Amino acid sequence: MPQDERDQVDRRTLLKAVGGATATVSIAGCGGSQTTPTEGGDGTETAMDTTEGDEGTETSNEGDESAFEVGVTLGQMDSGLDPHDHAETPTNIIVSQAYEGLMGRDKEGGIIAKLATEWERVESGTVRFTLRDGVTFHNGDPVTSEDVRYSIRRIETEEVGGALPQDGDLAGSKALESVEAGDGEVTVTFGGLNPIVFALFATNGQIMQQSWVENNENSYINRNTNGTGPFQVTDYQSGTSVSYEKYDDYWGEPAAADEATITASSESATRVNQLVAGETDIVTNVPPQEISRVEGSEGTSVSPVPSTRIIFLQMRYDVEPFSSQQFRQAMNYAVDVESIIENVLQGFGEVTGQPTLSQFTGHNPDIEPYGHDPERAEQLVEESGHAGVDITLQTPIGRYLKDVEVAQTAANQIDSLSNVNCELQQREFNSLVQDVTASSIEDRPRFTLLGWGNAEFDAAQTIIPLLTSDGPLTVLKSDEVDSLIQEAQSEPDPEARRQTLRECNQLLHDLAPWVFLHQQFSVYGTSDDIEWQPRPDELIDLWTASPN
Amino acid sequence: MSLGRLAIKRSLQGVGVVWGVITVVFALRFITPGSVINAVAPLDASRETRRAIAADLGLDQPIYVQYVQYLADLARGDMGHSYVKGLEVTRMVFQRVPATVELAVAATIVAIVLSIPLGVLSATRRNSPVDYGATLFSLGGISTPNFWLGIMLILIFAVQFNVFQTSGRGVTSVAVLTSLVGPEPFVGTLLEWLSYITLPAIALGTYFMALITRLTRSGMLDELGKSYVRAARAKGAPESLVRYKHALRNTLIPVITVLGLQLGTLIGGAVITEAVFAWPGLGTLVIQSINLRDWPALQGSLIVIGTAFVIVNIVVDIIYGYLDPRVVYD
Repeated sequence: MPQDERDQVDRRTLLKAVGGATATVSIAGCGGSQTTPTEGGDGTETAMDTTEGDEGTETSNEGDESAFEVGVTLGQMDSGLDPHDHAETPTNIIVSQAYEGLMGRDKEGGIIAKLATEWERVESGTVRFTLRDGVTFHNGDPVTSEDVRYSIRRIETEEVGGALPQDGDLAGSKALESVEAGDGEVTVTFGGLNPIVFALFATNGQIMQQSWVENNENSYINRNTNGTGPFQVTDYQSGTSVSYEKYDDYWGEPAAADEATITASSESATRVNQLVAGETDIVTNVPPQEISRVEGSEGTSVSPVPSTRIIFLQMRYDVEPFSSQQFRQAMNYAVDVESIIENVLQGFGEVTGQPTLSQFTGHNPDIEPYGHDPERAEQLVEESGHAGVDITLQTPIGRYLKDVEVAQTAANQIDSLSNVNCELQQREFNSLVQDVTASSIEDRPRFTLLGWGNAEFDAAQTIIPLLTSDGPLTVLKSDEVDSLIQEAQSEPDPEARRQTLRECNQLLHDLAPWVFLHQQFSVYGTSDDIEWQPRPDELIDLWTASPN
Repeated sequence: MSLGRLAIKRSLQGVGVVWGVITVVFALRFITPGSVINAVAPLDASRETRRAIAADLGLDQPIYVQYVQYLADLARGDMGHSYVKGLEVTRMVFQRVPATVELAVAATIVAIVLSIPLGVLSATRRNSPVDYGATLFSLGGISTPNFWLGIMLILIFAVQFNVFQTSGRGVTSVAVLTSLVGPEPFVGTLLEWLSYITLPAIALGTYFMALITRLTRSGMLDELGKSYVRAARAKGAPESLVRYKHALRNTLIPVITVLGLQLGTLIGGAVITEAVFAWPGLGTLVIQSINLRDWPALQGSLIVIGTAFVIVNIVVDIIYGYLDPRVVYD
């Protein structure tokens, strides 16, 4: 065969082969990962292993027309399913459907019984929990006091759980000394009086099965669950979706939903599109510009709720001009918070005048917010001796609801004072946090917009980290504040402690280490097909959702 | 140079490029502001907790130790564990690959099916309204950002008319194929699959479609003006034979080259489209990893994307040399 003819034949053959190969690759490439984790384990896993493949799992209710299903779209997925190995809200929402603690919270933030039926302080540093009978993990094994002991120690003791970010979430500032597992009860001893120990246990400390944790790798625990909650995970797609089904042997009132799915989209427009198109039932963080679209669509509505997050501008006490109390107060008078709430946040916010929100223990109802008074602000700037000063406000981008717009408006209002020039600097959040959490106060930003969530509903959980001399994020050093907080934290009588915290809040209002802005609202978009009320602690309790 | 030697040479160059990608991506974490500890620990974590977490993740080691360790792990096929999720990165990444490949292939199919006939039609009816329409269409396709097109497609076809899903993946193509033999109804499964993939495939494939249309049109015009076409016509060969058997076949050689290269680009370039459609592929993983400062997951994703691109380039290079004997590689 001549050379050119042979080449021609080869080329044709190859073109055909390429065509065939492309088709084959298309089909093969379109295949999902069929992996179903069955590795590891102690034999108990197989009862509740979740599948992790693209095919998903057909649940028992598949095809059942009467099954009630709920879908949620968050802004971000979980950071693994280990309930102790995270410190952020999306993961908490996802694991809380399957895991529970000894205590919990109701819709208003009040403490309720979960796996413990009773709790008492037996000594100043010792508390005892009576465990609920007849509770089982999703693999069918009963919950024992040893499991509870192990879970508490896993969070608080590095030798047991390693370096977990929830370290201190149960013990607070008092180190865990011992946990004793008795017959149907658990006794926990700390290194001293912890007045908010029950508030901490009501928010943190989900219970895991000791043998299940010890017999599995971390990576397995991060993609499977074995809790006691009303839902059990049936399918886990890391970073994409989590599917649940109702746990039939749940100890409490069973969930109305037979199945639930949580997905995420970082784009708020995508979340709203899903809701409006009827593909999901609950979406989080509907931005103000999308509210009219949700309200205007048939079958969807907006459900706002005051959250446990406060937004403020913090000022470093040790540098000029913020070292002047008069100047700090002037900044509070300069910013028109009501206007920000009305015009930037579409009304979804509440003016604050102290670091403690109105639903929290220690809130002082007698404190009035500063109010907008530019003339008074200019006068205080003059009196402080810093007239003509240039300052720069730093703000994170996209961390809090409309953060850049809020900071821009506040900076403009300060800049409009005749004797202060204020500029705005926008910063990527992780980069800003690097500075905000710097070990030395000298390395922290001077004037920054920040937000703080406090799921324990207690004033001390905001004031201690942010406003006491040794707080990891503090911008203030005040012996009076330190002393009042110390007094509150060693006060066993709740009413006396509440009075001390109120006094502390009054002092902080006067010292004005922050420009007190607003209480952020959580704005959910919900389908009219379901009945569900949002809660202030940003948790989404799908077990309370019912068909409408 | 023989084809075998060419393949070996290109493969070795490819290994060098992938190593470069690994090194650059690894270095990026040390020049990017912010710390992974802030993504893992709460804001009010004590210094001791932060130090313990850093030690736990191996971040307290010198950079060169971390680098050598990473290369050694990679050589064993271990991309490490996600800082944030605690999962094996190899698993996380390869779980996302099918979705990305599926979208890239679907976008390519959408592009090919529409672009080649349009390009041929445009060339054979030069200066006609069809040609002007095709030119305008391809200009629009090249000029339209795919994220904007994606948003518009969602608003019109998913939200307004409710024909397609707004986002997500739903069923896979494997589920469609298995429904042929399984208990699930084939048509229903196919329609559900199409309801998820159509819009992202159009959004991602439009630029590609416009590119191939232009390439086919200019290639066809070029070929139709050549002497062998005149000779074929002079011999009395039917016009359809001249156009589709002779001219189009020669036009397709550069088109196949671009197709191959573009497939590599689609695998790596679907980041924005995946984000708009919440498509659970590598692009979404890249964005999630950046947001969470999850460097092992980000490194793993970028290495896989980079490697895929290099492999596709090498294969196209070799195929091109094979298809066109006039190409000489020194």
